[in-house]
Amino acid sequence: MADYDVIVIGAGCGGLSAGALLAKQGRRVLVVEQSGMIGGCCSTFEKDGFRFDLGASLIEDAEVINWCFERLGTSLPKEVDLVSCDPVYDVILKDGTRLKYPISSEESAKNIGAVAPGAVKGWHSYAEYMQGFLDAALKGFFLAPANTNADLVRLFRKTPQLLRYGPMFASSYQGVIEKYFKDPRIRESIAFQSFYGGLPPNTCPGYIAMVPWSEHAGIYYSKGGMIGIPRALERCGGKYGMTVRLKTRVNSVIVRNRRALGVVLADGTEITSDLVVSDINAKLLYLEMIGEEQLPWLARVGIKSYEYSMATPMLYLGVNYTPPLEGHHTLITRPMEELNDYWWNVYKKGRFGNEHFGIVSWTSHSDPGLAPEGHHVLVLTLQPGPYRLRGTGWDDCKSALTEEIIRYMSDRYIPGLADHIKVAELSTPLDFERRLLSPEGAIYALRQDLTSGVAFRPAAKSKSIKGLYLVGASTHPGGGVPTTIASGMIAADLIQQYE
Amino acid sequence: MKKKLLIAGVALAVIIYLKQPERKKRFLKEILRQVPFLIPRYYA
Repeated sequence: MADYDVIVIGAGCGGLSAGALLAKQGRRVLVVEQSGMIGGCCSTFEKDGFRFDLGASLIEDAEVINWCFERLGTSLPKEVDLVSCDPVYDVILKDGTRLKYPISSEESAKNIGAVAPGAVKGWHSYAEYMQGFLDAALKGFFLAPANTNADLVRLFRKTPQLLRYGPMFASSYQGVIEKYFKDPRIRESIAFQSFYGGLPPNTCPGYIAMVPWSEHAGIYYSKGGMIGIPRALERCGGKYGMTVRLKTRVNSVIVRNRRALGVVLADGTEITSDLVVSDINAKLLYLEMIGEEQLPWLARVGIKSYEYSMATPMLYLGVNYTPPLEGHHTLITRPMEELNDYWWNVYKKGRFGNEHFGIVSWTSHSDPGLAPEGHHVLVLTLQPGPYRLRGTGWDDCKSALTEEIIRYMSDRYIPGLADHIKVAELSTPLDFERRLLSPEGAIYALRQDLTSGVAFRPAAKSKSIKGLYLVGASTHPGGGVPTTIASGMIAADLIQQYE
Repeated sequence: MKKKLLIAGVALAVIIYLKQPERKKRFLKEILRQVPFLIPRYYA
């Protein structure tokens, strides 16, 4: 008899949601995590009395997360103390124009009208179209397995209204946005979210253009830090007997006759199980932990062909003043063409631009408990940064870069910042890789475009290894907190159906 | 005849591609670059 029914590799949101749901099915579940904390990208760490979120800084599509908790016999609001973030963003455009997007669509329309009166009609059309897509996508796309053509047929039979939104799949993010908005400043104000899909506006799939609208259904912050969500999943799983073991690194997956039979830990210990669920990067899993010799040749070619998603440096700041910002999220953005230009001529050429942009998350605005009294926490999610820097290394330039970014932000967007720093820590793509074992510091595991998505993304139920299931950003529906939790639900459903 | 039709079809596709704005060209180029991997990825 195996030691466990299921071993889950990685305690990210996907691994914990799958583990908790499988424990509820009555299975003996062990979750092993290489680092000292759960949550993966959705985690929180403490430094000198300040609490910083490692990656994710907000919860969108909370409905999807709630479905997972409902399946666990509870609800998201019962388990996680959520703070609503309104406005969604205070956007600062390159020319200095500020445009606030409150949750209320009408209030957002008013603000858009103040910047570009002709754009209000486009906003309403965009909102109506995207709401229709969102309704269809949430019901079908997020929770449906996308392993085979048959799955896709079932998905469209269950949610035929998705077919209406086909043109979005054949267009780029930029194409969709330009269809609804003619004013370059309005386009600029919602251009950055293409990076939530891990790509610039002219390459990102068009359906990601729903993101700037979906945020108006409400975005939330987990009081105490984003780790509140994985902690709640761990707690719920624990009620059904799920065990989580930290600082337990898996070296390889035991595979015999193309069947997963357990894992070998870094210290050589073998733990056997009937099923293995992987919440780590699929390329790392198949090529290093399983070995390409175990894969059929076509699968081997497929796995090797995936490109890692973008990496992005993050700057964690503890400050001893109240930053002159407008709310939880400030988006410092650039015109759409400049974002494209940055991607292709700066990022892709191994450089990290010195005109910084990105999201400033003032998390202690929503939860003052994250910082000592009179102090605040700012987390800067910067523009994409290449894993391999041309001419230098991240470790070599880290200290100078930290100072340069602080000075840049202080001079242009956050007056006084440079004079009030108590704690500053820059997390580079290299740090991200070391901390989370995410190859090349990829924040969404694998590139997320049409050719690496849905049925072309590594399958949730492995097509090469029996008894192996995938969750997390590497598999459908992709990277993000609600999407990785959805992947956990999909894997739990598939296991219930087949095992 | 078949050969002529094929050549005409390819020529038409190239003309349509060249007439697209830069952003569309980039989007199509990126998809076309990945097309050879679609079948292997389906089995991944």
